[in-house]
Amino acid sequence: MSAREVMIGNQAIALGLVQGGLEVASAYPGTPSSEILPAVIDFKRRYGKDIHIEWSVNERVAMEVAFGAAMAGKRAACMMKQVGLNVAFVPFIKGKDLPLEGGLVVISCDDPGPQSSQTEQDSRLIAALFGVPVFDVSSPEDARLLAAYALAYSSRIKKPVVLRSTHRVSHAREAIGLETPTPHGAIDEGVKLTNGTQLGIVSSGMGFNVASDVLDELGLEHTVSLYKAAQIFPCSQKLLRFARSLENLLVIEETDEVLEALVSGTTRVLGRTSGHVPRQGELTYDVVRAIIQAVSGEVGLKSRSFSPDADIEAAVSTISFPPRPPKLCAGCPHRASFYAMRQAFPKAVFPGDIGCYTLGTSQGAVDTCVDMGGSIGLASGFFEAFRQDGVASGAQRSLLGKASEPSPSAKAKDAETPILASIGDSTLFHAGLPLLYDAAAKGKRFILVIMDNGTTAMTGMQPTPQSGIRAEGVSEHAIPIEEAVRGFGVGFVKTLDPYDIPGMIRTVREAEGHLRKTGRGPAVVVARHPCLLSAKTGKKAYSDTLDLTAECDGCGICVKLFGCPGAPFDEAQGRIRRDEGVCVNCGVCGFVCPKKKDGNRRSRCEKRVDAKIGA
Amino acid sequence: MKWEIVCTGIGGRGVLLASAVLIETATSAGYHAMASDELGMSQRGGSVVSMLKVGSFRSPFVGRENADVLLSFEESEFYRNLTFLKAGGLAIVNSAQREIPGPVRTLLGARRIDCHFVDADAIATRNGSIQASNMAMLGFFSHFAIGPYTFENILSAIGRRVPSKLFEMNKSVCDEGRNEAGRTLAMSEVQP
Repeated sequence: MSAREVMIGNQAIALGLVQGGLEVASAYPGTPSSEILPAVIDFKRRYGKDIHIEWSVNERVAMEVAFGAAMAGKRAACMMKQVGLNVAFVPFIKGKDLPLEGGLVVISCDDPGPQSSQTEQDSRLIAALFGVPVFDVSSPEDARLLAAYALAYSSRIKKPVVLRSTHRVSHAREAIGLETPTPHGAIDEGVKLTNGTQLGIVSSGMGFNVASDVLDELGLEHTVSLYKAAQIFPCSQKLLRFARSLENLLVIEETDEVLEALVSGTTRVLGRTSGHVPRQGELTYDVVRAIIQAVSGEVGLKSRSFSPDADIEAAVSTISFPPRPPKLCAGCPHRASFYAMRQAFPKAVFPGDIGCYTLGTSQGAVDTCVDMGGSIGLASGFFEAFRQDGVASGAQRSLLGKASEPSPSAKAKDAETPILASIGDSTLFHAGLPLLYDAAAKGKRFILVIMDNGTTAMTGMQPTPQSGIRAEGVSEHAIPIEEAVRGFGVGFVKTLDPYDIPGMIRTVREAEGHLRKTGRGPAVVVARHPCLLSAKTGKKAYSDTLDLTAECDGCGICVKLFGCPGAPFDEAQGRIRRDEGVCVNCGVCGFVCPKKKDGNRRSRCEKRVDAKIGA
Repeated sequence: MKWEIVCTGIGGRGVLLASAVLIETATSAGYHAMASDELGMSQRGGSVVSMLKVGSFRSPFVGRENADVLLSFEESEFYRNLTFLKAGGLAIVNSAQREIPGPVRTLLGARRIDCHFVDADAIATRNGSIQASNMAMLGFFSHFAIGPYTFENILSAIGRRVPSKLFEMNKSVCDEGRNEAGRTLAMSEVQP
């Protein structure tokens, strides 16, 4: 047996590209695509290849760099998540018709569910809609072979192609062959099972593998015919012939109706249009099993049937165990920033952005989350709307989901509703800068808190522009955020450590005062503290443990406004409990506990923060 | 032969490393295997589920009541993911509790589930570091020698996955986990 190595789908895609002769690779990180580019770096080193590799500032730049290289004769690839393809849409739509000297594979990783995206999208649909060839990968090994194939195919037809993965393939793990794939003509795997004509299934991606396992479980592997599509567009004539040969054809695909549209009219098609497949959400094993069980019953095929044992839920419901919603890490500087913002202006409107800090919703300090950079654009729009009306009207408040607070009369006393936007450092450079320039040029009065943790934390610590660190580790051309912001003519720019809660509250209020006094915004507060996962200094931040449990009377304020996983609420004890394994001793909760507002412990906290940040 | 295994726990406690060891063990023994890691948005402290199918499967995804083995690296995640486990399956749960709560015990009996609560944290702490509790779990699991999962095979995969300076500590924790299984099972035979 040839050499094999266990790896995830994204590493396998990288291996396929490198084996296929990749020369230029560019990407912006986004789950579930982020591991591809680092893996390209690994395989470049391992095989001693000459490949230019870069993290671009956003997906549009990544695509244009790869496009340019491909037009100039290189074999290039750019990688992004499905939402990133929207950012790169402009060059994608025009570039699809530009003649290439080399080849270009656009790798777009979809997020059925979605698990970590704002929208569920199908990159196959976008490609097929605009006539761009698109391949759908179904397993890590398949992804490696198709990546190499797609690069060769694009070089041959001199047009860009799309390779679509999903988190279910990108993050699956299996043993991958290390030998260089031999290029071959047809990649569409076509008919996998030829059985009766009563029911057939066509599928692509991981959905195919799940459907195949389900057929085995239900004992239908000898009665249902099965077709696996790898090249979605242009679709194979074999697929249409397969479809016509059947009385009923079930389409299992994520996430939109692409194969379903391609086979429509060939026979009786069962899928989303017919209501047999859910329109939203991941096609998990259980979902696919339920679909196939229902459809096979409907067309009169005998199968083993699965019915869930409800006793499991009944027994488990007698046990109480904690829900685990996604949370910022213990000691996360964003939690401190959000707490301070909320304390400074509890009634503010809080436009938020995309990153770990979207989780500020749980602290009441993020009201909106639309797209990368959207916090700044929405803040500008809110400002104009509120200014036109004189105050924030009830209607506007309810639009933002805050109808209950505060009362309109209380609100009317404020000349303006403070607008307190937040954005991370990587997102600021990705999409925020043009919006910030525009807001500065027009003097929009809002406060922007730039949460600078020095890294792209959510996707796995990719470097950001202000560090100047490049994909392969070389450090050059650092861009301080403050210089970029001041360069736009922003009149108020202050930087501090968000662990200094009193300082943060003071500075945010000072920023609001600046807006009132000068009548021009925006005002920018740079909250700078390294991501603890990146810096790995969290445990050493403070020498002594701050224990809130002794004085805790169970008021729950820290749980509601701070919500640190290091200090969960212990229902049995009726008070908070310090979780030794999670708490990093940052000491910030000392500012949150009302018991400590005037006590000795609180002033000790403040001193410790002062010492830490050198104030 | 084919097996479906679900590993559950919370972030930062070695669930994914254990799952990586299990797939390495299977592929080294010549089996086809595919795994899928599902972790929430949070980096640490969130629920983690890793599914693994060994043998003639195409996907790594485990359906409700299909898992042969459920390894829970944290007790609450055992209850949360119990629907994965098939009737007659094997469950190993990292917990300091010795007693399985009544209604669940009744359910496990009715579903003929072989369930073992093991204090993997204590075993790991005694032999080096609480962070190695995943190794105690793997050691305990090796006692059952299901398919490729013998102690020797698992240990050799651990050797390929952990840094060499940590190997001896991991090995002793894993070994202690296996011994614990031997002791627990011997006792249960005496007192059924």
